[in-house]
Amino acid sequence: MNTRSRRSILAGLPASIGLAGLALSACGGSEGSSAAPAAGGAPAAGAAPKGAPVKIGASVSTTGSNGKTGQYQVEAYQLWAEQINTRGGLLGRPVEMVILDDQSDPTVGTKLYEKLINEDKVDLVLGPYSSGVTQAVSTVTEKYKYPLLSAGASASDIWKRNYKYVFGVYSVAESYFYGVIDLAKKSGYQTIAIVNEDTVFPKATAAGTAEYARKQGMRIVFQEQYPTKVTDLSSLITKVKAAKPEVLVGGSYQPDSVLLTRQAKELDLNVKMLGFSVGAAMPEFGEGLGKDADFVFGPSMWEPSLKTKGNTEFFDTYKKKWNREPDYHSATGFAGGQILEAAVGKAKSLDREKIREALATLEIETVLPGKYKVDDTGTQTAHIPVVIQWQGKDKPVIGPDSMANGKPKLPMPEWKARA
Amino acid sequence: MAGPLIADQRAAARGQRIYAMLLAVTAGVIMVIPAFGSNYTKTFVMQGLMSCALAGSWNLISGFTGYVSFGHAAFFGIGSYAAGIAIVHGGIPAPLAIAIAGAAAAAVGLTFGYPALRLRGPYFAVGMLGVAEAIRVAVTVAEPVTGGGKGLVLPPEDVLDAAYYAMLAVVTTTVLVTYRVATLPVGLRLLAIREDEVAAEMNGIQVTRLKLGAFAVSALFAGLAGGIYAWQISYIDPGTVFAGSLTVRAIAMTMLGGQGTVFGPVVGSILLSGISEALWTRFPFIHTALSGVLIVAIVLFLPGGITQFLQNRGWIPRSRRL
Repeated sequence: MNTRSRRSILAGLPASIGLAGLALSACGGSEGSSAAPAAGGAPAAGAAPKGAPVKIGASVSTTGSNGKTGQYQVEAYQLWAEQINTRGGLLGRPVEMVILDDQSDPTVGTKLYEKLINEDKVDLVLGPYSSGVTQAVSTVTEKYKYPLLSAGASASDIWKRNYKYVFGVYSVAESYFYGVIDLAKKSGYQTIAIVNEDTVFPKATAAGTAEYARKQGMRIVFQEQYPTKVTDLSSLITKVKAAKPEVLVGGSYQPDSVLLTRQAKELDLNVKMLGFSVGAAMPEFGEGLGKDADFVFGPSMWEPSLKTKGNTEFFDTYKKKWNREPDYHSATGFAGGQILEAAVGKAKSLDREKIREALATLEIETVLPGKYKVDDTGTQTAHIPVVIQWQGKDKPVIGPDSMANGKPKLPMPEWKARA
Repeated sequence: MAGPLIADQRAAARGQRIYAMLLAVTAGVIMVIPAFGSNYTKTFVMQGLMSCALAGSWNLISGFTGYVSFGHAAFFGIGSYAAGIAIVHGGIPAPLAIAIAGAAAAAVGLTFGYPALRLRGPYFAVGMLGVAEAIRVAVTVAEPVTGGGKGLVLPPEDVLDAAYYAMLAVVTTTVLVTYRVATLPVGLRLLAIREDEVAAEMNGIQVTRLKLGAFAVSALFAGLAGGIYAWQISYIDPGTVFAGSLTVRAIAMTMLGGQGTVFGPVVGSILLSGISEALWTRFPFIHTALSGVLIVAIVLFLPGGITQFLQNRGWIPRSRRL
């Protein structure tokens, strides 16, 4: 008996490994590895770039758990490179992007930045996607004294290590839900439940939200974490339901924000306000959930409707090049390029020490709301996150007031009352 | 009849010499890479060595005794965190911290092995999967010490060369221990457990002690590798160091090279790391799919691994030294 069972598992092993291999590989892919210098299509604003290309390297997750989100960032980097080449290049030289895929794995990320710096000999780098990968990668770039614009990460821990070469592009994760809390407070809601994935960025988001909610006098009636790559959150939702919060906020990425909404409906969890980080601001959220996305709030680092500098042009050219609308991860990536461009312009050379100096003192407008400006640690301080709400097919900006182009719809009706 | 047989043996002996030479050359290249290679080459080879250490470690328990562990990443993760915590909270110098990492993993191996190794076949495999997950959750929850899901940031140091040689030392030791195990009676006893545990026990083999010993040694090496990894990369989080893919890679490498053999994990890890890196540089966006197809092809057509394939062809002898 025992012998047979042992043998059978050994015999079954090759098959299971094969399956695991397939599963690992089934995470999708994409086209095109690096943006070649643009083949002078549009009439150039400056002279055509000449000389040896300036190589700019980045590794972004385009496969693995964050592949969907990372893809937006890659597309933005490539668009930026194309546009800068039609504008006359960087210091008059064409820009060549070297973009690699870290498979959403920090270990691979560090290896790839070693490769970009040592093998591909890139002149400059741009940041990867996700706070975890950026944490690991910034150690490598710090070692080689390469300034790193964190265009896809915002956990404040990144800037708590006294690193001198890493700079934030958008607001730290902790502040994501400030706008949502303000709105909840204004609407007279007293109780909040906070759930989050137990990784760097969502944890930071949840911690910041909890602190701010408490400061605003709200009562946290439930707070719990769930593991990454989770496929069932029904027990968590049942617990939230028992706590009867008026507001539910999720420190989430894209897949889990969809899962939470779907299961909230299935289990008939009704709150007056529902908000998610990352996922709720992505077009996929509305596409994937349809009408169930309605009334959901989310912090966004950027929106197409904002009247920021060059935003309409960015939106149009992006849509034309990639046949889909950019999301805020595209915009932060694009802003990363814009900031790097400005810093090189200020430094007037590719000297990375001078560029670091420039990045530390620069104050400019990008496509993102607010400005780019960092404090002594490199933390972004002048970017202003906005709050969006899904209303039908649109997601108007409903806060802060200075940028709003829609009115919040509150409270969220009960699931049963919705068509 | 004697003629062809002797010719076969000669061919096999020649094959063995070539096999040994190839391994020696690889070892030589790996030794001198830090002197000539770029930091990227070093990082790549070091991560290959790390996989090799894990594969070798997995082979010690699962390849020999047939107790297939699907939770081997647990020991790697424990090693990472033990070293990380020792360095961050204890201010302990890295070499000592790495030793602690190995010891911690071995201790956990003993603790969990004692009950878990009573499970057989699929129950053990699934049990280990559960153990790994439970430990990952425990590490995530123990936030004050481990940093939880935010991960643990170690003081960043440029220790690539030192970490490289440390990892190489772990691999070498793993191979030497495996060689001793394979060539001494203890190896036969372990293989006997794999073939028929009840019969082995009836023949006076102390199966429990042997299994536990193999498990602890196996965990020790995985823990050492984890400790070195944490020290070098300077940022660890539960999702990365307890990743199931670490275990799957170790198993795939061992199976490719030949489980229950001395050099199987080495051959497997060289090939698989090399192939995935080559695919990756040529086909940056579909390499994961290609690696997947490749793994499926290997297990379909080379179920006994490369070692057995060469032995069946008579190209290398059926020696337990290989």
